[in-house]
Amino acid sequence: MGRLSLRQIPYQNPILVGTFVFALILGAAIVGLVTYHKRWGVLWREWLTTVDHKKIGVMYCLIGLVMLFRGFIDALMIRTQQAIAVGPHSPGYLGALHGYLTPFHAGQIFTAHGLIMVVFAATPLLVGLMNIIVPLQIGARDMAYPYLNALGLWLTAAGAALVMVSLFIGNFAHGGWYGFVPYFELPYSPGVGVDYWLWAFQLSVLGTTLGSINLIATIVKMRAPGMTWMRMPIFTWASLSANLIALTTFPVLMVCLALLASDRYFGTHFYTAGMGGNLMLYNDLFWVWGHPEVYFLILPAFGMMSEIVPTFSEKTLFGYATMVIASFAIGGVSWGVWLHHFFTMAAAPSVNSFYSVTTMLVGIPTGVKVFNWIFTMYRGRVRFELPMMWAVLSLFLLLVGGLTGMMNAFATNDYMWHNGVFVVAHFHLMVLLIAASIFGSVEYWFPKVFGFKLEARWGKAFFWCIVLGTGWVFIPMFLLGFAGMTRRLDYIPYTQWGPYLRVMLVGMGFYILAVAFFFMHLYVSLRDRAKNRVGADAWGTSRSLEWMTHSPVPAYNFAFVPQVHARDEWAWRKEQGVADLKSGPYRDIHMPGNTGVPFVLGALALALAFALTWRIWWLSGLALALCVAVVIVRAFAEDTDTVISAQDVERAERRYHDGEVVPMEEPMGRPTPRPAT
Amino acid sequence: MSVMSRSENARSLGLWDRDHEGHDVIGTRTFGFWLYMLTDAMVYAALFATFGVLSHVVNLAGGPSPAAVVHPVYAYGETVALFVSVLAYGGAMVALKAGNKAALIGALGAAMVAGGVFLGLAYSDIERLFHAGIVPQASGYLSIFFGLILYHALHILVGMVWMLVMIVQVMTRGFTSNVVYRLINLRLFWHFQAVIWVFVFTFVYLQGTVL
Amino acid sequence: MVIGQTVKKWLRFTYGIPMLFLNGCAHSGLLLLEPRGLLSDTAVHYFTLDVGIMLLIIVPTALLAIWAMWRYRRGGRGAYRPDWSHSGRIELVVWGIPLVTVAVLSYLSIKAIYELNPYNPTILARTHKAAGRPLRVDVIATDWRWLFIYPRQHIASVNELVVPVHRPIRFRLTSTSVVNDFLIPQLVGMIDVMPGMRVKEAMVVNKPGHYLGFSADYSGAGLSWMHFDTHAVSVAQFRRFVAAARSSGRGLTDTGFNRFARPFIAVGGARQVFGRVQQGLFGHVVREVMRGKVWRTPMDMTENMVRYMKQQRAEQNAGEY
Ligand code: HEA
Ligand code: HEA
Ligand code: CUA
Ligand SMILES: [Cu+2]
Repeated sequence: MGRLSLRQIPYQNPILVGTFVFALILGAAIVGLVTYHKRWGVLWREWLTTVDHKKIGVMYCLIGLVMLFRGFIDALMIRTQQAIAVGPHSPGYLGALHGYLTPFHAGQIFTAHGLIMVVFAATPLLVGLMNIIVPLQIGARDMAYPYLNALGLWLTAAGAALVMVSLFIGNFAHGGWYGFVPYFELPYSPGVGVDYWLWAFQLSVLGTTLGSINLIATIVKMRAPGMTWMRMPIFTWASLSANLIALTTFPVLMVCLALLASDRYFGTHFYTAGMGGNLMLYNDLFWVWGHPEVYFLILPAFGMMSEIVPTFSEKTLFGYATMVIASFAIGGVSWGVWLHHFFTMAAAPSVNSFYSVTTMLVGIPTGVKVFNWIFTMYRGRVRFELPMMWAVLSLFLLLVGGLTGMMNAFATNDYMWHNGVFVVAHFHLMVLLIAASIFGSVEYWFPKVFGFKLEARWGKAFFWCIVLGTGWVFIPMFLLGFAGMTRRLDYIPYTQWGPYLRVMLVGMGFYILAVAFFFMHLYVSLRDRAKNRVGADAWGTSRSLEWMTHSPVPAYNFAFVPQVHARDEWAWRKEQGVADLKSGPYRDIHMPGNTGVPFVLGALALALAFALTWRIWWLSGLALALCVAVVIVRAFAEDTDTVISAQDVERAERRYHDGEVVPMEEPMGRPTPRPAT
Repeated sequence: MSVMSRSENARSLGLWDRDHEGHDVIGTRTFGFWLYMLTDAMVYAALFATFGVLSHVVNLAGGPSPAAVVHPVYAYGETVALFVSVLAYGGAMVALKAGNKAALIGALGAAMVAGGVFLGLAYSDIERLFHAGIVPQASGYLSIFFGLILYHALHILVGMVWMLVMIVQVMTRGFTSNVVYRLINLRLFWHFQAVIWVFVFTFVYLQGTVL
Repeated sequence: MVIGQTVKKWLRFTYGIPMLFLNGCAHSGLLLLEPRGLLSDTAVHYFTLDVGIMLLIIVPTALLAIWAMWRYRRGGRGAYRPDWSHSGRIELVVWGIPLVTVAVLSYLSIKAIYELNPYNPTILARTHKAAGRPLRVDVIATDWRWLFIYPRQHIASVNELVVPVHRPIRFRLTSTSVVNDFLIPQLVGMIDVMPGMRVKEAMVVNKPGHYLGFSADYSGAGLSWMHFDTHAVSVAQFRRFVAAARSSGRGLTDTGFNRFARPFIAVGGARQVFGRVQQGLFGHVVREVMRGKVWRTPMDMTENMVRYMKQQRAEQNAGEY
């Protein structure tokens, strides 16, 4: 069994044991419920084997939310540790010298927190939303490659699962989410933690790369007739630019990680300090991905804001063309700024100057976006419903996060606080901007996908607690940055930092409340869903194509593919008085058929990654061979389509027109498809 | 203009595409494959950048220099084999146009054999080096030297397996649209490996012999 | 630059705000904003300019956003013009203003980068021509201690840096194992300390005193304890320090260093002084690491730091280091 043995289960650690018991109970409860309600069949047929882009998107979002929760718990642990372990006289518990986390445990927590939040929470949430919305916005019935889409999902899921497994079997990497060399080389990190990190990361890289190929091809090839480039909704544009970034940079990360894996598994010398390796190479390769990655995250968020702001300003987006140009300018420049993550590596002043300037250039197109949103509200009729509240929060977070980012970009400032918590505070405002945009667009598009709006009362409480928590945690963190506090400390050697750290703990209280309110928000919304049913155009003032089909969206998206005449097609139709969705007679619709292959490949990938982590060679070989075999066998599957017959379409459409309540088992109103004949 | 006539006007433009044909399958699939190739090109770009970084004197770590590693006979032999294979694949595409099943299978077989020769040569070259104690673990330079050629060889192997699959599919299915788009994609893939080989040959082997 | 000067004066103001809020005099603890060295002073000078200029544009933008939201809220007083979505003049302004700002900031940034170039800070050359020969200090980061070697004095000190004020100090830095980051917030910014490589840094202290130094890049279980003290003292005091160190019995040879560099968690500071340091130790370490020398961190140590630490403390007391 390679390195795996029973000793690797950390039963001595009460925190982990507690978590394990909790996970066990939760897992048992879920399995029990599914069994009790006899839903295994439905689960398999409708979800695990689906290739429907909306369901895949929903599952991406679920993974993202669960991982967001996990990341939050990690954040909570970091903050409590840092509030307790201040100064040499602070108490120690659970085997720690100070606080309750040993350096090893604390290291795993911030590493897992960073990795999870970036690649297993934010990324899946954004990819999920793009998955759901982009095909709808361009009037397509599905993605260009539905099968590949499912594969991307299950690879991402495998990566997330691997991170979770590391909690209970062995341990996780303990040095920082972006890895360090030579610290992550065998002599300094001999355990399995780094291997878990490597393979989980690598799986998400694969999944996201496949996803980006799919989204780009969908946008380029699948647009409805009449949808010229300059009529594309702005969120679609944002997705296109974001995925171009992903397409070109994720492969570099793949190489970066593969070379590290090679060092660890084969003893090569890519990144070692001696023997002709070059450790600075790792930083370059990583951040050539790492910096564009943050724009991969933020561009869709900008796209979401650009959809929400016009809807709730009841007005066309100001400066559509500049918005598009700005997105691509950000994407383009993002390629040439990575060195700002290591200004302190003693590069020549000319080099630092170059990267300092390119980094600041990003401020220009970003600023243009900010002004465009402001001028969209200007002369509008602004309605502060929940999505809009989140969008406004995002806007202000962008101003402060951007300001502090520009401060980092001024290289001599960065000399003062690189690797300090000022940087941490900078990027948290940015990633919280992303989180806020995600929450906003979940509020915004939820009725489209599920057919009812989320209630507003708990939603507002959730919103305000996030606002308070963010201020309360991150304003002190900026000050701590000026106080010279460095990152990733498990013990605070300088007691003057203590008061700030304790204040921040109060802020975490608001976050805890926020999470509780979030659950209430979901629960109450679900309970009262009958009250909040909506029609196609849930908000009344939305403008783009996705609002032109029913809510919840039928499996085939559009009974007929729309003909597009204007940039804001739906707004245009409403204005022209042709907003009627009724149209017959219906025709058969060809749709891709469900398949279990992607799920199986995901499971095999998980087995492979786990086996490699523990160096169980027979299992690695077996899993790899099975993967190859499954791919080849799948290549022989000839007819993978199904047909939704005209009668089925008509029946479904009539249900919508009659205002019938679509049952929860069919969240997307999927009529039972019949196999092709 | 009254609302009525305005909406009539809009209606006459056609609101729905009633005769939606679906999207052109082969075009969509090959487009996606181009995107995939772009990602692979990025992987190679990163590897070549690494090669550039790790080709300085300090990266030899006192081990063998590039000139001592590179053996032109193998490099030239591999080049010839790979280009013969690509040529044979070109023949397969001609056969596809002509709709000639037998010729296509023959050409694919020839391409596979030439690919096999390439792999054989690469194998014996590496074998030779390993026997001389020239292994990836010896220095940073050798790590990336082997990394690059092995990654390329892996592609050749995958391409050959793919050809085998296509031979079977052509035999059992004939020229269905699925088979055709796969043949087109495989052509892209195979030509791309040849293009990459040109870079490998230039930077790793030719430059190596002069250094 | 006249504009720069005015802006700066004007902005001393804004810069005071967080200080006020923190009750901020000498004890606010905001170390970065209380520079005591030539380089840190310069950095803060540029920091003030940079932030000031940016606030000139960020603050009005925020105000504009608030105003637009308020005035054009539903039921507000703004006139509703749903089709208005383009204005060439506004576009010009929204591209133009950030462009000009970034141009100014770029100029300042480049200027600052050259003035603070750690290998050759032009600010130092300009202001310290006559200050005499710089003091050389070689810094070696191990897991997890800082060794400061004074090559001309042949002494070394662990986790404690003693330097004379007003005299330029030139550091050379390397690491035995992983990457560290050398930082003294009030005196000098960060520089990465890398194994098998040598980097340089320069520093001048303006005021005698006691300053904290940290290791900033993650280096493992002992990171949080890898801080050090900097004592900036008068020239006479510095001489006394050197003399005392020389008379200390302990020497540090290449082989001794081999033992010294094993992982060691410096809980509680763990200072030490060496009187006779072998010539060329710094270069020796760099070369050794380049050749592949590694001081491993046992997994057991990472996992059970506390136990290890106690054991090591016992060993140290028994005469090992
Ligand atoms: C997307 C990225 C992201 C997000 C959202 C966050 C969110 C938060 N992070 Fe994170 N953080 C990182 C990315 C992120 N972080 C990274 C990359 C690092 C660096 C790691 C490293 O050093 O290597 C880091 C490091 C980091 C540190 C660094 C410690 C140090 O280096 O000294 C701290 C300390 O306080 C911290 C705190 C927080 C807090 C309080 C939040 C809060 O904002 C959290 C608030 C969260 C919520 C409000 C979500 C609530 C959850 C739900 C609503 C879901 C409900 C669940 C279900 C329905 C299932 N983070
Ligand atoms: C989504 C995430 C996100 C986003 C959008 C950004 C955006 C920016 N980031 Fe940030 N950054 C991170 C996430 C993000 N960052 C993360 C995760 C890290 C650290 C990872 C780690 O170390 O763990 C990091 C680290 C980081 C560093 C390295 C710091 C260090 O490690 O020492 C730097 C340095 O330049 C930087 C700069 C910037 C800049 C200039 C922007 C710009 O894009 C901001 C542009 C926006 C504005 C400027 C505001 C709006 C503009 C106007 C209103 C117009 C006018 C204004 C002016 C002209 C000033 N970031
Ligand atoms: Cu050495 Cu960067
Ligand atoms: Cu960046």
